[in-house]
Amino acid sequence: MLSSSEEKPGQMPPGDGSIPPGKPMSFGQKMIDKGAQMVESLKPIKQMSQHVCTFALYSQDMSRQIETHHHVNRLNQDFLQCAVYDSDDSTARLIGVEYIVSDKIFQTLPPEEQKLWHSHAYEITAGLWMNPRAPEAIQKPELRDLAQTYGKFWCTWQVDRGDRLPLGPPALMMSPQGVNGGMVMPELVRKRDEKYKVSTDNLRMSRADVTVPETVLLSNADYWMQSEKGFAVDVEETDMKRIAPFP
Amino acid sequence: MEGENVSTQPEVPGEPTQTSTALLETATATLQGFGPVNKIHQHLCAFHFYAHDMTRQVEAHHFCGHQNEDFRQCLIYDKPDDDGKLIGLEYIISEELFLTLPDNEKPFWHTHEFEVKGGYLFMPGVPGPIQSQDLEKVCKTYGKTIHFWQIDRGDSLPLGIPQVMMALTRDGQLYPNLAQDVESRFGISFAKERENRAYMTGPAHGLHPLGNAAGRGLQTVLREVDCKPVESVPSVFV
Repeated sequence: MLSSSEEKPGQMPPGDGSIPPGKPMSFGQKMIDKGAQMVESLKPIKQMSQHVCTFALYSQDMSRQIETHHHVNRLNQDFLQCAVYDSDDSTARLIGVEYIVSDKIFQTLPPEEQKLWHSHAYEITAGLWMNPRAPEAIQKPELRDLAQTYGKFWCTWQVDRGDRLPLGPPALMMSPQGVNGGMVMPELVRKRDEKYKVSTDNLRMSRADVTVPETVLLSNADYWMQSEKGFAVDVEETDMKRIAPFP
Repeated sequence: MEGENVSTQPEVPGEPTQTSTALLETATATLQGFGPVNKIHQHLCAFHFYAHDMTRQVEAHHFCGHQNEDFRQCLIYDKPDDDGKLIGLEYIISEELFLTLPDNEKPFWHTHEFEVKGGYLFMPGVPGPIQSQDLEKVCKTYGKTIHFWQIDRGDSLPLGIPQVMMALTRDGQLYPNLAQDVESRFGISFAKERENRAYMTGPAHGLHPLGNAAGRGLQTVLREVDCKPVESVPSVFV
């Protein structure tokens, strides 16, 4: 096995500790970017319509929990795709991708596929999932909808374990749940609440009327809850099927 | 065997977005900041194939932002349109950063020299001289690409596990029909680009022997692990 999402691949020089390491942008590069930006339309990027702040846990080790920032793009009423970052400022690192589907779509997935997905009902009704700087009242209808969805979240950069660059294969992430093993550490929540001047407790109370159908609560998602198993991703070397020499 | 044309891909299942949902999301968008997304300033089009299977090739539209001079992070879509599917991501690093990677990490990363000099990696709609200024830097970089959505096998949803991807490293790898399709849709000629880029040079230390998986295939595998025993974590709520 070449590498696993569970094991840090190896040591890197500590450098100045910056994540990622690297020289500041040169003036020349900034000018190049400005020139390009003036003519490019960047359409798919402009479709991102929501910023969500929530929490996720590593499927391979649920004691490792992170605050996440999702930039969400809705493709249709049943499907959303998210670029996930570790913060919401301009230096935020792209740490993965999450896909979100409605219950209707989730039910069409094969059981083996469903095991890779997590439910959103708890993290929304618990107030953990929120939209920074957007009034809760506006969000309510969307939250009712999203509380019945499922997500599939791959993390490609394990910043929380100190990786200064994205190392190893992607890791599968799970959502917070209201049972042992799925609870978010209070300190993480407190830190988030302080930064955005919100109260997760208050959000939870205001969402008491967000209900979730039984079918959603009894799904094959959140595999760890029934099986006490998570997933790691390994990468193995193999023969490449090829049509020409490589490299 | 021909490559699949991306325009024949199946639609994502689901109802059209309701007006009320769209309005709500527009309202939200005007109130929120989009920090890291606002830093995305560049669109690059290139080709990837699966790290275990060169016969499966896809057109990849990268939307990139710089973290610093040595590091870019890119979102990858199947097409540069409003309804583009987010199929993967790529990190692009300078040779200097690549050399600091542990040896069992280096194989994940592919070189860009051939696809830049070959003309296959380009910035749609951007005038040649501006492209060149940036591409001559990209020419020396390494990239790590992961795809989550295997649209080339007809998946209308992102099924399965992530796939490590590789990039073109020599003539004869890219399906001619894929190349011609991109050339005609974006109004460019790879042959012409190749001429324009003849002056560019790759990494100062040459292509690292561990890069491009040292010529091996890479395959991701899912493995079940036991959940570690957890003491009861104090709940936030009483």
